Amino acid sequence: MTQKLLSKANRRIVKDGLWDNNPITFQILGICSALAVTVQLKTALVMCAALTFVLAMSNVIISLLRNMIPSKIRIIVQLSIISSLVILADQFLKAYMYDVSKQLSVFVGLIITNCIVMGRAEAYAMANPPWKSFLDGLGNGLGYSCVLIFVAIGRETLGSGTLLGFPVIPQFLYDHGYVNCGVMVLAPGAFFLLGIIIWIQRAISGYTEEQ
Amino acid sequence: MRLESNRYTFMFAFAVCVTCSLALSIVSEGLKEKKALNVALDIKKNILKAVSLETPLSAKVQAKEVLDLYDAKIEEKVINAEGQVVEGKRPVDIQEAEALYPLYMYKEGGQIRAYCFPIVGKGLWSTIYGYFALEPDAMTVRGITFYKHGETPGLGAEIEKDWFQDNYKGKKIWDIQRNRLIPVKVVKGQVNNVVSKEEMPFYVDGISGATMTSKGVTAMVDKWINIYEPFFNKIREDR
Repeated sequence: MTQKLLSKANRRIVKDGLWDNNPITFQILGICSALAVTVQLKTALVMCAALTFVLAMSNVIISLLRNMIPSKIRIIVQLSIISSLVILADQFLKAYMYDVSKQLSVFVGLIITNCIVMGRAEAYAMANPPWKSFLDGLGNGLGYSCVLIFVAIGRETLGSGTLLGFPVIPQFLYDHGYVNCGVMVLAPGAFFLLGIIIWIQRAISGYTEEQ
Repeated sequence: MRLESNRYTFMFAFAVCVTCSLALSIVSEGLKEKKALNVALDIKKNILKAVSLETPLSAKVQAKEVLDLYDAKIEEKVINAEGQVVEGKRPVDIQEAEALYPLYMYKEGGQIRAYCFPIVGKGLWSTIYGYFALEPDAMTVRGITFYKHGETPGLGAEIEKDWFQDNYKGKKIWDIQRNRLIPVKVVKGQVNNVVSKEEMPFYVDGISGATMTSKGVTAMVDKWINIYEPFFNKIREDR
């Protein structure tokens, strides 16, 4: 290996997915699951872990095979690898975190169709060595996770008045007529929060739509 | 062999399929017992919740505790469509085609404290599974739980919340004055505002924004109470 594992260039790959090229705020990928699992922080955290695992692992495997995959069937090969990993993650959740897997229901399975995973496999792992692909998967997974966690914190506190199941809105506010914001538990609430997060992130990173 | 030749493509596809399916079947088989255990445990937990134990389960209850409690307090029976207990059968033995129904009795010191039976029905998006428990008088609701469903979080999914399930406690399914069965109905809005005082024991508060789920719950409670009615009718007559 000619360069160090965590050289500047490699750290750059992680940061790229996390901030400059964030899959949700920059590429607007994987929105569907971001809306679906963010009603509670706990489900969002498990979803993030599952997606980051699948993304990093599929990137590594596809990168290892990248010179062997016939280009005619490369998409379906990527998909087989990704779906196997997703089912794997789902099985482990069912065995070891049954309650959470019940709440996530179909959404773990739907990681297969999450555009981020396919997108990174096709755009990055097919052209780069395994370690770099791993970092790219990790960075994108963490970038997705950050946004999801922010949305979930906002939705759970405003929508249900709890965080990880513990009440955070003091009782006297309810006594004085405070009501949980119902729209936050519905998909539109996630859209509003997501829009605001994308706005803030783009304002800081100085992103402009190409003319 | 060329990377783009048809022969290589087929061989590669075959290798990918075999590897993936092999890996998945190994994991699935390896975790089978653990998964089955989780499902069974969840059901037992829900039966214990529905019968409202004298000392309720804590939120962080251990798997072993649940199993021990279940074995100690719950007696499993099977009844037929005429409401007779079928001896020598357990709920796990019931075949799908048979008109046999599981019944769980909660006993405390040899005394029956509750009868519990499963309820299944359609909500808005999904099939809802739960348990329904009656007091020994076979008229008063002791508890209800829902353990599996796919209703909208925050709306229909409120059926799994305590406020909705506690709603049912103490409600009646039998009208003593007129001697007839009235399975508990979910109203639209609050019971206090919608039904008259004498009707109140037969209705529970609805979930705003989840009319279809509420209707589904009403229908499934109605259906299963009627199925178990021959059994409970005997108990009422015996008293």
